[in-house]
Amino acid sequence: MLSVSRLGFGRAAAVLAALLASAPAAAQWVGYPTPHVPRKADGKVDMTAPTPRLANGKPDFTGIWISDRTEPGQETISDTSSLPSGRHMQDMGVDMEGGLPYQPWQLPIVKKRTENLAIEDPHIRCLPDFFLRAYGLPHMLKWVHTPDILVMLNEMNAGYRQIFTDARALPDTPSPAWQGYSSAKWDGDTLVVDTIGMRDDTWIDWHGSVVTEAAKIHEEIRRLDFGHIEIKATVDDPKGYTKPWSITMRQRVVVDAELIDEICLENEQFVKRMGLDGETKE
Amino acid sequence: MKQGVCTLAFLVVAYSAAAHHSFPAQYDVDKPITLTGKVTKVEWTNPHIFIYADVPDASGAPVSWAFEMGGPNALLRQGWKRDSLKAGDLVTFEGSLARDGSNLVNARTVTMTDTGRKMFAGSSGGDQAPAAK
Repeated sequence: MLSVSRLGFGRAAAVLAALLASAPAAAQWVGYPTPHVPRKADGKVDMTAPTPRLANGKPDFTGIWISDRTEPGQETISDTSSLPSGRHMQDMGVDMEGGLPYQPWQLPIVKKRTENLAIEDPHIRCLPDFFLRAYGLPHMLKWVHTPDILVMLNEMNAGYRQIFTDARALPDTPSPAWQGYSSAKWDGDTLVVDTIGMRDDTWIDWHGSVVTEAAKIHEEIRRLDFGHIEIKATVDDPKGYTKPWSITMRQRVVVDAELIDEICLENEQFVKRMGLDGETKE
Repeated sequence: MKQGVCTLAFLVVAYSAAAHHSFPAQYDVDKPITLTGKVTKVEWTNPHIFIYADVPDASGAPVSWAFEMGGPNALLRQGWKRDSLKAGDLVTFEGSLARDGSNLVNARTVTMTDTGRKMFAGSSGGDQAPAAK
């Protein structure tokens, strides 16, 4: 590392000026080539290339991921100009016969939140997005994976989720947390993750469906190939639902991109403009 | 402005792009509007960028309007730079009016008057944004 004492103030100032002058070209690293990406002869990413591996031989989930939207007409999104949202983002039970198996107390709450267009949504109020929901929101997730831990960084609000891959015991009396507490172990090439300790009223979709403090979430995560991850999640939350339910979501890798600040509170205006802050609307 | 910005075509679904908040709660997609004015202020901020512009009313008097766009990350990935729009630029905004009747628009596209270049504004609204020309 350079220091002022070694360079002298004048030279240090010159170095700083040079660094600042060169900064704009690479300020956001938009389009900066991601290393170690398998490419075809035409330069396009080989999305079906073999799954990368960690030093311990297990699949490496490292990468930037977005929802892999697969409905007809929506699979054509091939760059980062417009991030897709997952089909479960609005309704986590969209593929379930009869929808999510809500406990009766959730029904009027979800109905109200659906009808008022989710103006109470914690996402709107710049609070963290729960990981199940984040898989489907149009914000980049950066997964950083080592043999001991998988960290999911969320571009939105600089969020994070830690999954400890040492199969540690889950806490007995967890203090409620926005992402809960996650411990994992490998079953072959599938990372099996168990999570508990969420907050009550944790939103999981745009309709305002929630999981509660009683929820246990079981995930089976596989990297299918270089370009895709599949997540099978089972939610067992007897306080919030009449029976356990499962959902499968896919993620698609994004290369030549990096996370860019998206700190919601910086200049959030929706709440104020909608008169939701308890103050008189302008 | 990079020429590349103007050649991008986008498929945008509701809540995609810079979907920080519920578009239909605040804006009415059935009230499209096109306004031309002179930029007075650029708030290059999260979660959404706001452009303020003076738009002449029927008498020619300037009226201040606010135009909400996508977030910096979405716009940067589309080729925007933080100085792509500057105070004094004459531009045309296409978008949807706010439901509350205020001078607020969720901008879908921005067209530079001097060059005719049309740029996608990273809007979170509407079922499908037009392809930028």
